[in-house]
Amino acid sequence: MFFHIVLERNMQLHPRHFGPHLRDKLVSKLIKDVEGTCSGRHGFVVAITGVEDIGKGLIREGTGYVTFPVKYQCVVFRPFKGEILEAVVTMVNKMGFFAEAGPVQIFVSNHLIPDDMEFQSGDVPNYTTSDGSVKIQKESEVRLKIIGTRVDATEIFCIGTIKDDFLGVISDPGAAV
Amino acid sequence: MNSIEPFNRLVKLAARAFYDDVSMKGDNQPKTSRGDNRGMAVVVLDALTRRPWVREEDLAKALKLHSKQLRRILRFFEEEKLVTRDHRKESAKNAKAHNAAAANDGQTVAKEGEEKVKMHTHSYCCLDYAQICDVVRYRIHRMKKKLKDELDSRNTIQHYICPSCNKRYSAFDALQLVSYTDEYFHCETCNGELVAEDDKLASEEMGDGDDNVRKRRREKLKDMQQRIEEQLKPLVAQLDRVKNLPAPEFGSLQTWERAHIGAFAIGDPAAADSSRNSQGQYGTPMPYLGQTKVEVDILSDGEKEGAESGKDGSELKVIPPWMIKDGMNLTKEQRGEKIESQKLEKSEAKDDKKQDLKDDQSVQEEYIKAYYEALRKKQEEEEAKNRMQQEGKISVPDSQTERQVGKKYKRDDDDDEDIEWEEHQPTAAGNATETYKLADLNAEAQESGDDEDDNVWEEG
Ligand SMILES: [Zn+2]
Repeated sequence: MFFHIVLERNMQLHPRHFGPHLRDKLVSKLIKDVEGTCSGRHGFVVAITGVEDIGKGLIREGTGYVTFPVKYQCVVFRPFKGEILEAVVTMVNKMGFFAEAGPVQIFVSNHLIPDDMEFQSGDVPNYTTSDGSVKIQKESEVRLKIIGTRVDATEIFCIGTIKDDFLGVISDPGAAV
Repeated sequence: MNSIEPFNRLVKLAARAFYDDVSMKGDNQPKTSRGDNRGMAVVVLDALTRRPWVREEDLAKALKLHSKQLRRILRFFEEEKLVTRDHRKESAKNAKAHNAAAANDGQTVAKEGEEKVKMHTHSYCCLDYAQICDVVRYRIHRMKKKLKDELDSRNTIQHYICPSCNKRYSAFDALQLVSYTDEYFHCETCNGELVAEDDKLASEEMGDGDDNVRKRRREKLKDMQQRIEEQLKPLVAQLDRVKNLPAPEFGSLQTWERAHIGAFAIGDPAAADSSRNSQGQYGTPMPYLGQTKVEVDILSDGEKEGAESGKDGSELKVIPPWMIKDGMNLTKEQRGEKIESQKLEKSEAKDDKKQDLKDDQSVQEEYIKAYYEALRKKQEEEEAKNRMQQEGKISVPDSQTERQVGKKYKRDDDDDEDIEWEEHQPTAAGNATETYKLADLNAEAQESGDDEDDNVWEEG
């Protein structure tokens, strides 16, 4: 799920950037530092949408660096248990398959794949129904439901299932070719 | 109306299947044997299968429940989507019953009550059959799905174990376990090939992997599944039977009332009452009655009496036979017997009747005659006086008489209390209670108007 929230961060800036473009430098550094990171609490920072406030800088003794408290708005993505996501399959093996939804990695173990789909090894390992009408392989797009999330300080990993109504392949790269 | 029976059966089955042990105890009420009202929910649902839109107070009375208690149950069923409720403000059921209650304060108060109509919020409820079918079907579906999911160990995180070093992993570790050389997961420590723990049995809080516990749990689930099938069989069968039948539809409270009260217009009980009383003899439009009403108030009691005496008893309020029950304290006129002096009925005669002393009958009759004579005289005087007053306004005598007729109607319908008041004020308290009783009777009659509809509906 996406959220638009306000976060705060203390930025350290080297004295050589002090000048008329201090603020710009601060913002571009913020974007570089923060976008794409993940916090266990808020999820992945997808994009910074604005800077609300830059506080007074504090010179750090000895180094000359200055610390600015920066308040910024950003879009974060935080997966939840029970959430339905669309994801792209990245790897298929006998134990199941991995998929990605943006920055989130999801693993779907083989017991959460419908029973009528069988693993086929080969150049392009895949799960296929007995009549061959549905195939999950690398690059397939699937709709899955998250049944568990592991949130670390810097990482979120999800377990998904496609063994439920309206879940499974939504576009088959093999069919398009 | 298409057959409602299969739907009622469905409701009863569902009530017993799902709401049998619903206890509506208050928040801080200890569950004593007395406070334990389990099963009450079933009783309420059953009662509702016998009624369309019903006023909740009436239902509470019929079930001998406290209205608060009933409301709690109904609110629960509203949340469960079985019952539709409607609330609206009404003039205190009818001004009449209310006036009667306030009658002890004298006529002026009664009149006041009539003029500014007091509004009370009343709640009505009825079953929503179409929705009930959906709700019950959905509920059964959810029950079965939940068990099935648990049996299939859906939504559970897969666990893996290394056969060589017995280290256990969960699917969350999958990223670290992936091998790029083969299709399997490999142990981080010994690089052994991991095997999935038996999917089916992995469903529970892993515990220590006690196979027996899992097995037993699994058996329990299976058993539960079986019992659901078995015990809900009649309910499911009834659902199937009902599936293609059009569900009975009462519509909103207003629509239903319009359709069922029909003749009595807008479902206003007072209106219903009055039209019933006048028995269609005089289709006097309401505005006309309203006019007369004002005049009646101006006129003295004698005047009114005169109007009555001019006519016969057919004008008096006649209670339909189906409304007369044992123990009702009825006057003759209410039973439909003709009695010339309404006045007498309402006053002394009533006292006598209450005592049920037949010996007194003759004495009473004499007394009545005398009383009536006196009244008539008085009334004639009044009339004369009145006519003199009105001469200026209304020159045509015909219109005058007509108006009297209307007036009388009016009085029968709504102004009983007025008359009694004027005449009884000086008499003993016994009369006051009698008056009250009469008014009560009226109130009951109005309410039983609904009951009547109920009955018709039930049989139909
Ligand atoms: Zn190992």
